Amino acid sequence: FQTMPSKSDDILKGFKLNWMNLRDGESGKIMWQGSEDLSLPDSEHEARVPKRILKCKSVSRELNFTSQEQMENFRLEQKIYFKGTVIEEWNFEFGFVIPGSTNTWQSIIEAAPESQMMSASALSGNVLIETLFFDEDLLVSKSRVRVFYV
Amino acid sequence: FFQGLLSLLRNLKAKPEQEVRILTLGLDNAGKTTILKALASEDISHITPTQGFNIKSVQSQGFKLNVWDIGGQRKIRPYWKNYFDNTDVLEEKLSGVPVLIFANKQDLMGASRADEISKGLNLVSIRDRPWQIQGCSALKGEGIQQGLEWVMNSVNKRKK
Repeated sequence: FQTMPSKSDDILKGFKLNWMNLRDGESGKIMWQGSEDLSLPDSEHEARVPKRILKCKSVSRELNFTSQEQMENFRLEQKIYFKGTVIEEWNFEFGFVIPGSTNTWQSIIEAAPESQMMSASALSGNVLIETLFFDEDLLVSKSRVRVFYV
Repeated sequence: FFQGLLSLLRNLKAKPEQEVRILTLGLDNAGKTTILKALASEDISHITPTQGFNIKSVQSQGFKLNVWDIGGQRKIRPYWKNYFDNTDVLEEKLSGVPVLIFANKQDLMGASRADEISKGLNLVSIRDRPWQIQGCSALKGEGIQQGLEWVMNSVNKRKK
């Protein structure tokens, strides 16, 4: 006896986070790129980023995902934690997602003034980028990347 | 580029928490993604057809600017209308919204010049919205900044 797969099962099954990267916002140069199964639930990924990224005037975070299913109100919540406390939060509403589409979202953040910037050694390993993906209220995927400055 | 965008964004004098939304539409292989990547100083040597959308979001002092680049392939075009809500600049349709047309690939011999395209599309007949046609080469990074400045000025006027 089998129940029909629900629409939410299909959305979850058909969703894949393909890659993420961090760029220098000024030069556009990629400083880190990760493509291992970033959306594997419950696993925390590690990004080893050159510490000169902390000198950048702006930084871009970019992620690429594929969805087999159509979504009506796709949105994400991105939180940056420092030692477990949220220091930055970015919510984004995509709205409609085309079935069978591959899409990219890039957010560009201005750096804090250098005087307010913590040192690489203080930040390294203590920064966590968490991204939650939803269709309306259905949690579709989750990614957690811990950042090390090397 | 982002420094440029950020300063343009400040010049918008948008009310805090206001979002400016730019939508780019065009046929497949027109160079929409390349234009946006060129603006961002990103590598443009490995761009593949967009199978959905690419979004760039910039946030500065409470202002938000979102640029939506939607794939131009035939199978995707029926979905364009899903992205028309709340668009401040649309590079091809929508009531009262300013339109910028990039006449891209001007580095190619066979490219139609901006004035030829303007004539072909009969752009002078457009009276219900501000419009502008800008020749450019995303490959060489020419003409794009000028187009963007026009966009920002037009959005500014529209907000007043």
